[in-house]
Amino acid sequence: MTVARPEPADSLSGRRAGKTGWRRLTWRSVVPVLPVPDIVVEARQLTKHFGPVVAVEELDFDVRRGEVFGFLGPNGAGKTTTIRLCLDLVRPTSGSVRVLGGTGRDLVVRRRIGYLPGDLRLDARYTAAEVIAFFGALRGGVDEAAVKQLLERFDLDPNRPVGELSTGNRRKVGIVQAFAHRPELLILDEPTAGLDPLLQYEFQQVLRQAVDDGATVFLSSHILPEVEVLADRVGILRRGQLVAVAGIDDLRAQARQRIDFHVPGTADVAVFGGLPEVVSLTTAENVVQVVVEGSVDRVLKAAAGLEVRRIVTHEADLEEVFLGYYRNDLT
Amino acid sequence: MTAVVFARFLRDTRRSMAWWALGMVALVLFTVAFYPSVKGNEAFDKVFEDLPQAVRALVGAQEGVPLTSPPGYLHGRLFSVMVPVLLVTLGIGLGARAIGGSEGDGTLELLLAQPVTRSRVVAERYGAVVVVLAAVSATLTASLLALGPLVGLLDGIGIGGLFAANGAAFCLALLHTTLAFAVGCATGRSGPAVATATSVAAGGYLVQGLAAVSGGVPAIEGLSPWHWYLDRNILVDGLPPAAVIGPVLVTGLLLAAGCWLFNRRDLR
Repeated sequence: MTVARPEPADSLSGRRAGKTGWRRLTWRSVVPVLPVPDIVVEARQLTKHFGPVVAVEELDFDVRRGEVFGFLGPNGAGKTTTIRLCLDLVRPTSGSVRVLGGTGRDLVVRRRIGYLPGDLRLDARYTAAEVIAFFGALRGGVDEAAVKQLLERFDLDPNRPVGELSTGNRRKVGIVQAFAHRPELLILDEPTAGLDPLLQYEFQQVLRQAVDDGATVFLSSHILPEVEVLADRVGILRRGQLVAVAGIDDLRAQARQRIDFHVPGTADVAVFGGLPEVVSLTTAENVVQVVVEGSVDRVLKAAAGLEVRRIVTHEADLEEVFLGYYRNDLT
Repeated sequence: MTAVVFARFLRDTRRSMAWWALGMVALVLFTVAFYPSVKGNEAFDKVFEDLPQAVRALVGAQEGVPLTSPPGYLHGRLFSVMVPVLLVTLGIGLGARAIGGSEGDGTLELLLAQPVTRSRVVAERYGAVVVVLAAVSATLTASLLALGPLVGLLDGIGIGGLFAANGAAFCLALLHTTLAFAVGCATGRSGPAVATATSVAAGGYLVQGLAAVSGGVPAIEGLSPWHWYLDRNILVDGLPPAAVIGPVLVTGLLLAAGCWLFNRRDLR
């Protein structure tokens, strides 16, 4: 399920799909606005082999306009390869990926993308301001006000050479340059790796703002909570294959919950017998642990037969769902 | 659109370019400072005349050009080995770094994700490399023009001869520079680029050296860029066409091949 996004503010409505014309805003240069297609990234049977190594195999997925699509998978699953295929940094062995109605090879398309590489390497001799200005010059302009705001938000000194910055601060430079020209599509490879929790939160705010302004986001991560917080839909990638594509809410509905019933002594757990939603049942002295998939209604009614003194519930654990996908794939 | 990539690469290399230029000035100063003690010293010429032809060839002595005369001294001290080796070294380093080096260190990735074609990056970076190499060569010429006359080191050498010798050394360096650049384009690493270009430079020099010593096999020595360059004393005899046409042709082919391969392959 895709979470409905509020319409963008009027001043930015020119960036919305379907509208053409010239965008002025605070841009130093005038960038033509092209219609954003409904499907912003469209992979069809996308396959990439590096010699005998299969990086990704027959991927089919769509990233829809205005959504945050999270690519989730363990390291080496093919996330970065997919992203680099979108940008024409590597070429598909077979199949295709269309981006913003064209291909990553089209300069017009690349101008409308903000990219943050997973393994970000910046020339150490230049300052953050110089790095941002350099990429800005190649793209035909940056939104100075947005850059200033981002720098302040991330508490980044633009006048220090990149080489003197910590890993986290370098990452911030990468994020700022990706957002600097207010791109229509943000392609972010492991965007918050190396950021502390506070900055991860700032990043989430910045990303939300961009989405509210009409941007589409395609991000990858191997950290589930990050994707859970940011994404509307996820694609789960495992060993180069797309195991599942689903809305976060759908996944949450599948998620399991653990409920601890605190009881005096040892309880008779036969009351839960025959309930299909009970995935597992463990009893110990003074506690019964029940793992439930789906609705907990019947479980709670059955628990009425016990002398329950306290109920402790645990957050729906998406991780279990994902691990489930991995396990299914393994068998 | 302005040449942003070109300008950035020049900026990247400006410090190293300054040091190289300074080195060239120092080399000329050193060469000029020693000339008065050699000038007109017939004993020197006698010593060399008595040496076997092979050894004379190795120190850059040529028939009919005394080593103590300005063209003999300049050729022997600078243009036979020192200047071409320095320029070739500079060029290989620059050429290998331009694409192969920056792809190897990962900085090329974000550049190529911008709205620039790979061909544009190749063209602008190559242009910047050539400019740096030309600037360092020009510093050498300018230093000689400024300091040489103080000790009569340019007597009997036309300004055209000096430019020709410098130009030929530049062309020789350009060939090896482009080889390193093209291998970098093809492999995405600077190691193979440096290794290939250095091997070709050393191999070519060896072929030329052996030819000078033993008479050589024309078919093989004709393949050595060093032979095109060291065929004669350019300062007095003028520019042999092969010293320019050869490197320019090879350079063009290498650049086209490098660009073609770079456009077709995956970024590392």
